[in-house]
Amino acid sequence: MSLLRYESQVRPALVEGDKDYHQVTEDICRPVEARPSKLWWIGFIISVLFLAFGILSVTVEVIYGTGQWNLNKTIGWGWDITNFVWWVGIGHAGTLISAILLLFRQGWRTGVNRAAEAMTIFAVMCAGQFPIWHMGRVWNAFFVLPYPNTRGPLWVNFNSPLLWDVFAISTYFTVSLLFWYSGLLPDLATLRDRAKKKWRKAFYGVAAFGWTGSTKHWQRHEALSLVLAGLSTPLVLSVHTIVSFDFATSVVPGWHTTIFPPYFVAGAIFSGFAMVQTLLVVTRKVLGLEEYITIEHINVMNKVIVLTGSIVGIAYLTELFMAWYSAVDYENFAFFENRLNLNSPYGWSYWIMMGCNVLSPQIFWFKKMRTNLVVTFFMSILVNIGMWFERFVIIVTSVYRDYLPSAWSTYYTPTIWEVGFYMGTFGLFFTCYFLFSKFFPVIAIAEIKHILKRSGDNYKEKMDVVEKEDTIVFAEKQAHDH
Amino acid sequence: MTIRENYVVPKRFNMIAFTLMVIGLLTIVGLYATHGSKEDPIAQARFWGSLLQNSVYFLLVVNAAMFFICATTLAWGGWQMSFRRVTEAISACVPVVGTICGVILLLICFGGNHEIFHWTDTEHVKHDKILSFKAGFLNKGFFAFMTVATIVLWSLLGWKMRKLSRSIDETPLNVEESKKYIWKNTVWAAVYIIVFSLTVMSSIPWLWLMSIDAHWYSTMYSWYTFASTFVAGVALITLFVVFLKNNNYLELTNEEHLHDLGKFMFAFSVFWTYLWFSQFMLIWYANIPEETTYFKPRAQGIYSGIFWLMFIINFLAPLLILMRRGAKRNYTTVTFMALLIIFGHWLDFFQMVFPGHQKDKVPMMLWDFGVALGFVGLIMFLTGRALSKSPLLAKNHPFIKESVIHHT
Repeated sequence: MSLLRYESQVRPALVEGDKDYHQVTEDICRPVEARPSKLWWIGFIISVLFLAFGILSVTVEVIYGTGQWNLNKTIGWGWDITNFVWWVGIGHAGTLISAILLLFRQGWRTGVNRAAEAMTIFAVMCAGQFPIWHMGRVWNAFFVLPYPNTRGPLWVNFNSPLLWDVFAISTYFTVSLLFWYSGLLPDLATLRDRAKKKWRKAFYGVAAFGWTGSTKHWQRHEALSLVLAGLSTPLVLSVHTIVSFDFATSVVPGWHTTIFPPYFVAGAIFSGFAMVQTLLVVTRKVLGLEEYITIEHINVMNKVIVLTGSIVGIAYLTELFMAWYSAVDYENFAFFENRLNLNSPYGWSYWIMMGCNVLSPQIFWFKKMRTNLVVTFFMSILVNIGMWFERFVIIVTSVYRDYLPSAWSTYYTPTIWEVGFYMGTFGLFFTCYFLFSKFFPVIAIAEIKHILKRSGDNYKEKMDVVEKEDTIVFAEKQAHDH
Repeated sequence: MTIRENYVVPKRFNMIAFTLMVIGLLTIVGLYATHGSKEDPIAQARFWGSLLQNSVYFLLVVNAAMFFICATTLAWGGWQMSFRRVTEAISACVPVVGTICGVILLLICFGGNHEIFHWTDTEHVKHDKILSFKAGFLNKGFFAFMTVATIVLWSLLGWKMRKLSRSIDETPLNVEESKKYIWKNTVWAAVYIIVFSLTVMSSIPWLWLMSIDAHWYSTMYSWYTFASTFVAGVALITLFVVFLKNNNYLELTNEEHLHDLGKFMFAFSVFWTYLWFSQFMLIWYANIPEETTYFKPRAQGIYSGIFWLMFIINFLAPLLILMRRGAKRNYTTVTFMALLIIFGHWLDFFQMVFPGHQKDKVPMMLWDFGVALGFVGLIMFLTGRALSKSPLLAKNHPFIKESVIHHT
């Protein structure tokens, strides 16, 4: 017998319970086909309310100008850019899971990739709001597009990383969307074929692009996935790299440091995974998908969190060390006075960052902690708070007391409209996520089926004979079959 | 299928290894006679620089094999099990190459020549505001302590990992025992990775290499050095895998595994370029004299030829040649690329070491190449010996069967 599907029994199963292909379809389609629960409605309405408040906050800002925010000449970037970077960072996990883990042949990605990719797209949509509305005269936002125009020599500044951001993020958004949607096609077709109501059939029929499941379709689908994975992999790195360039190309102490690109990317994956955990710990419970998003999935993602958290930790310490080692007074001041010194105005924010991002994830060295859902949920929130503070620390503590003491800023606090805008993006994010979880399967049905006979609970048990077989005998059998 | 589990080192292999070592030794003697024994401190530095470049480079490259083992252990990788023993054998070079490297580093640190490490000149440091500021880190005692501690820790932890691997050679494990075994491996691999991140990923490149340009600093430096040696390390693993395949060993390793090694070479070549570009671009863009001083001789001065050659060898070649699926499954292409990558990153280390003290002219690289051949011979000999000491197949490892049926 040729064993193309075998996985060591040492690895925990990725699909639990006695499942066959049909049962997988039933389980994952159920939440989409059933009426939304009360809980769903409550969550959805709260999200829409948040979104409405965000729209109000932005409207006020557009009518009265950016003066409605508490930014000043010294702190030109405050909550807006902090939130922008925070959301972009969160938008990294989805494509990492779908692209890089596809290239690394990680079977566990199939349980979480769909939701993570959706999250990515929504997070990038939220991120995009901040630079756009920060422009103030937002009706001129199209100025960022480089095209021959009637504004005389007024071209975009190709030397500016801010413009590179426009390209990087829009490319990332487009490719992520394509990736997510092309993955959805077979599942949308499944929903179409199962639909009993006319409008459902029509809706999913249009959405599925006429997918029939023929061998040819699958062949192209697989090829496309691989190509998109190849394209997305450098994009996962490039987006946050270019965001880091926004800061690192400058000559501002605390911003200009060469480690920024990889360290930003690691931080982004860190926060992205934290947000995936926040969403999935709840989603699996509410939609009853614990057998597909198993404790093993949570466990593995927590490993990614402790890894990326520690990478970020090494980067923080490297920065701190170099601030001293460089023997540059300004670097010294930015790190040891503006940040590390707890008694300086923003010292507390640095220590929140250190505590949440570097120290607290270390509990994930222990399996007991990694597999505990309450701890995971709590930690995921903590990491997201920590990563928000990382951006706040980088942005605000670097600029509020810079070279000229006469330009030092008074204490910066956001106005209600700044906070409202941020809350509004939460509204946007969760509104989209609730809609997604209602209308689309939150787990990739087709991909779960792909690993079912290798990593499914009941199939693994049947591998007992193979497991006990001598390696060389096993190898001989395989060689014989090929 | 017959599995040849015990590797016998061919006589010719050892002959070549010894010849290379002799060439290396002769080059060192020649270099000492022509440069090292001279009065001129810069000529002396040229001699010591060559030893520094080669010993540090090859130590980090063989050590990357243990990093590969530990990283794949933590990630629960299965595919690489079929050639696991090859990786282990390469990592077994660490104690010997490490000792040589440590001795060289200590000789440079405590010897009379201060051209390479300016900060060892205590008289000079007194009048140099920046160096005296850094003296808390850049001092002989700390340098010696870190050097010795690091090499000892790498050697010990590597030894422990290899011992764990061999401990189950005679005893097949059941599932429960396998889980315990994996757990034990995970713990030791984690300890190694922590030590690795506190040394290779941070402090060690600052001390051994960055302090050659003692006034200069870059936060990226250590991660960049890591990327350079890791990709060369994977290339070295690939070379030994191909060598053993050619000699009809490693029956269970096939193009599928080679393909994945090729992917690693491709991916980490691009990753190296990413870090290389980020470090260079940020310094170029900000244009602060304290920082650009490092790239001035390298990118625009007399070393600029190597700078661009490196860009071609380490980035363009892997990108264009290894992109194709077929290329990664072709033994000849992969071997050629592995050699090229090892050479390319050796050039990278040349660039790290020499422009800091050989400011007037680029040293004739043939000398350094001769020394490199000596290290190549040494690594061949040590790896061959280690390979012959344990079975070539880690046949009882819980993930070995996954590796047997691996297809990418």
